[in-house]
Amino acid sequence: MERAMISVEGLARRFGDHGQPAVFEDVWFGVEKGEFVCLIGHSGCGKTTILNVLAGLDRPSGGTVIVDNREIDGPSLDRAVIFQSHALLPWLSVLGNIAFAVSSRWPRWPRAKVREHALRFIELVGLKGAADKRPAELSGGMKQRVGIARALSIEPKMLLMDEPFSALDALTRGMLQDEVLRICAETQQTVFMITHDVDEAILLADRIVLMTNGPGACIAEFVVNTMPRAERQRNGLHRHPQYYAIRNHLVEFLVNRSRAFDREIAEHGYDSRRPRTVRPGLAAINPAAEVVPLRHAN
Amino acid sequence: MATLKESLALKSALLSVLLLAVFLGLWQLAAQPAASGGTIVDPEYAKLVGQAAATGSKTPMPTPADIGVALWKHLSDPFYVRGTNDKGIGIQLAWSIGRVLAGYLLAAAVAIPLGFLIGMSPLVYRALDPFIQVLKPVSPLAWMPLALYTIKDSQISSIFVIFICSIWPMLINTAFGVASVRREWLNVARTLEVGPFRKAFRVILPAAAPTIMTGMRISIGIAWLVIVAAEMLVGGTGIGYFVWNEWNNLSIANIVSAILLIGLVGLVLDQMLARIARLVTYPE
Amino acid sequence: MTMFTDPFDAKTLLSRRCACGGNHTPEQHLEATRVAASTEESWWTRVVDAAVLRAVFPHDAQRRLFLRTVGASTAMAAISTVFPLAIAREAFAQGGAPEKRDLKVGFIPITCATPIIMAHPMGFYSKHGLNVEVVKTAGWAVIRDKALNKEYDAAHMLAPMPIAISIGAGSNPIPFAMPAIENINGQAITLASKHKDKRSPKDWKGFRFAVPFDYSMHNYLLRYYVAEHGLDPDKDIQIRSVPPPEMVANLRADNIDGFLGPDPFNQRAVFDGVGFIHLLTKELWDGHPCCAFAVSKEFIAQNPNTYRALLKAIIEATAFASKADNRKEIAKAIAPQNYLNQPEIVLEQILTGTYADGLGAVKRDPKRIDFDPFPWPQFAIWILTQMKRWGQIKGDVDYAKIAADVYLATDTVQLMKEAGFTPPDPTRKTIVIMGKPFDASKPEAYLQSFAIRRS
Repeated sequence: MERAMISVEGLARRFGDHGQPAVFEDVWFGVEKGEFVCLIGHSGCGKTTILNVLAGLDRPSGGTVIVDNREIDGPSLDRAVIFQSHALLPWLSVLGNIAFAVSSRWPRWPRAKVREHALRFIELVGLKGAADKRPAELSGGMKQRVGIARALSIEPKMLLMDEPFSALDALTRGMLQDEVLRICAETQQTVFMITHDVDEAILLADRIVLMTNGPGACIAEFVVNTMPRAERQRNGLHRHPQYYAIRNHLVEFLVNRSRAFDREIAEHGYDSRRPRTVRPGLAAINPAAEVVPLRHAN
Repeated sequence: MATLKESLALKSALLSVLLLAVFLGLWQLAAQPAASGGTIVDPEYAKLVGQAAATGSKTPMPTPADIGVALWKHLSDPFYVRGTNDKGIGIQLAWSIGRVLAGYLLAAAVAIPLGFLIGMSPLVYRALDPFIQVLKPVSPLAWMPLALYTIKDSQISSIFVIFICSIWPMLINTAFGVASVRREWLNVARTLEVGPFRKAFRVILPAAAPTIMTGMRISIGIAWLVIVAAEMLVGGTGIGYFVWNEWNNLSIANIVSAILLIGLVGLVLDQMLARIARLVTYPE
Repeated sequence: MTMFTDPFDAKTLLSRRCACGGNHTPEQHLEATRVAASTEESWWTRVVDAAVLRAVFPHDAQRRLFLRTVGASTAMAAISTVFPLAIAREAFAQGGAPEKRDLKVGFIPITCATPIIMAHPMGFYSKHGLNVEVVKTAGWAVIRDKALNKEYDAAHMLAPMPIAISIGAGSNPIPFAMPAIENINGQAITLASKHKDKRSPKDWKGFRFAVPFDYSMHNYLLRYYVAEHGLDPDKDIQIRSVPPPEMVANLRADNIDGFLGPDPFNQRAVFDGVGFIHLLTKELWDGHPCCAFAVSKEFIAQNPNTYRALLKAIIEATAFASKADNRKEIAKAIAPQNYLNQPEIVLEQILTGTYADGLGAVKRDPKRIDFDPFPWPQFAIWILTQMKRWGQIKGDVDYAKIAADVYLATDTVQLMKEAGFTPPDPTRKTIVIMGKPFDASKPEAYLQSFAIRRS
């Protein structure tokens, strides 16, 4: 079987005694190179745990994660993480934070080269004038820009983002989303992102992974964002013909289906290794396309 | 805003001066020799006793003016040496500061690396905790006889007492600071594949530095408190010896001047560490 | 014999009275005639011999019997085996150069230490080629530890301390020699001024008293005194251990009603108008010991010449101090901060014995404090009887053995037995305390004679 760049295979995690039910179990999915994948689910379904396992910060109770055909056994500079709390080192300046990451990635680089490289990424996220400021002097949005710059500066093979914009106000969030969209387009980054914001997922993701509620959460289905990247503009998104169909599908899942997915399994059957893939956007513009196979090979 | 702040500072300074003036005034009044019954004694007797005793009363407490005179006398010639047991107050203070720094720096050299290890390992933390809890509350001076008995050198013993009393706040704060470094900062280091030494010096140390500095500040305060007591016990040199020597002479004026200087040096030591602490403190 | 009686002459009486017949000690006589002496060597030979012999034979008759029987040379040979008399004399008579010139001698700043202290400013140490640093020390325990730790080469101690060290109480048993008592008398009972009218101990029920140390002559004398007046020191009054400088402060603060303590603090209480001198301890027991000059035996063995020079300086200083005419000069020398750190007028009153009593009278007692270097074994035995009397030591006390552990004399007794002589009884010197004689040969009987006692 041809594996995706990231292949999550049969992942499970339980806390405490073995008698405890798993938070999630039998989770299978993949992320292709250059793909932007969002994972959506309610709190408590173990989204962040999955991301931590991908990052190598947490160990699963069962299953493995294969990256580039190799099972991961810990954190790696290939997988950069953007933390929800931005996790900047408060005693270092903006430049210091990024330079710390750069010199960790390339320990032999001379100081000047590290600095020059770090400044390039500060400029990329639009913080050119704030390089010497301490994190405490920055607004929440600026802090997260530094977090993004730090993650990108080590030129990772993929970005792992844990609800990176959830702590920001709506305006800042929107601007940063545009920024991420632009940067990902420029750098062809592979991204795996956790969110519970439906609009954010529609704006950013090429594919959205829906997760049922815990305990014992699993992947319900994959929603392909059939809106082309070029057409995804934040300002005009709601006017896009596919938008509401996709949005309604996601909201319907989060509001109703995620709770009672057991029933769906009982009615339609379920293959944990190949959850079905749906394209609600296409149905909106071409009702014929609504004929969605129950089982869709990835 | 600035003017408001300035006027507050001015007012508080004025109030401080006023309080001091009232305090000194009351003291001066209270310390005036009481008008005695005027017992007339023979002049030969009067020559043999103090002024107050000659008229049947007790030698009064020194007045603030007496203390000012004593203080001026000490400060105008602080570094004289007139024999083994008679040296200027500057020399005595230098001895005390030297002992405090020696014991304190030794304690820091032990407490910070050890605290690091303890903080990094929950196992070691738990294993050592009972010992620390038992040893920490021991009054530093209780160590003195043991130190004298085993070390057999009073100079090293007093440094040891400083060491043993200043080690605990630093050890506990370092361990606590290291143990409570935010998980996300450690995660940043992990995802950047930072080696253990770089992690210790670039992440954990700066993260724990404010807590460690707090411990060091508590420690220097304790060390300075203890040196005076230790020197009173062991004698020889130092400001504690000076106080003891003047106590022996029942010279309250000299003792009060020494108290003022002890407070001043303590303040300077504390402020020096506070300044260093400010350098390593980071706002979050 | 113009200089000094030959102690090895069987016919001579060797007493505390000077051989010239005048009413002064031999040392005073010596001091007076020393300047005229043609050779100091012979003077020192006599002093050393007399000191040793007197320690060995406190009872003069027995010394004479001993000398008559064995002859002076045999006696000297016998004594030399236990006390290196020849070496000592040689060294004392400008013998070998001191092995160690830079010495540290610890003292507690009280007038008992006068000879040790004054030998520094008055040049007694330097005269004997020693560079002595006299170091003021904070307390008895510290001075003991510093002496044991060899930070001090010699030290000022309370007379009972060598006993305590040799029986291993409070420290490891380390052989310590007490070559000289420093002072006799020199303590006093001081009462708060408000007790002016309560001059009889019978009025002292409920009084709180301070003494410098539990194991001190001060404690034993105070207990003895009140007990003789029918008060039980453990029930009718309170006695606490208080460092001497704090005695005056406590008296002033009304925390205690009085103290039996060392000078200068008795006179200091008078000087500051806080109390009055009820009586001098001399009035209880004229000639009681208080403090001692102590050296470890290890130091003596390693630095015999230094030891002799040091002892020579101390004995000379003591002799100088015992002379009344010198007392004013001494008071001036030891008053500065480097030494006692006390007003000169206070020290002068203590040393000259012309003092204000705190009640408006000037009293004169030239023997208020005196200086006498000779350690009598009877002192040790009396101290032991009082330790037992007040329950500080329990069970059977081997008085002779403990005295033997502390005093060289016992070794000589042993040697004499081996030579076939009846050894003198070193406990036959009688002591009279408050009119009651103490026979050191019958310590248990003496102890049983007290109505108030713990054992």
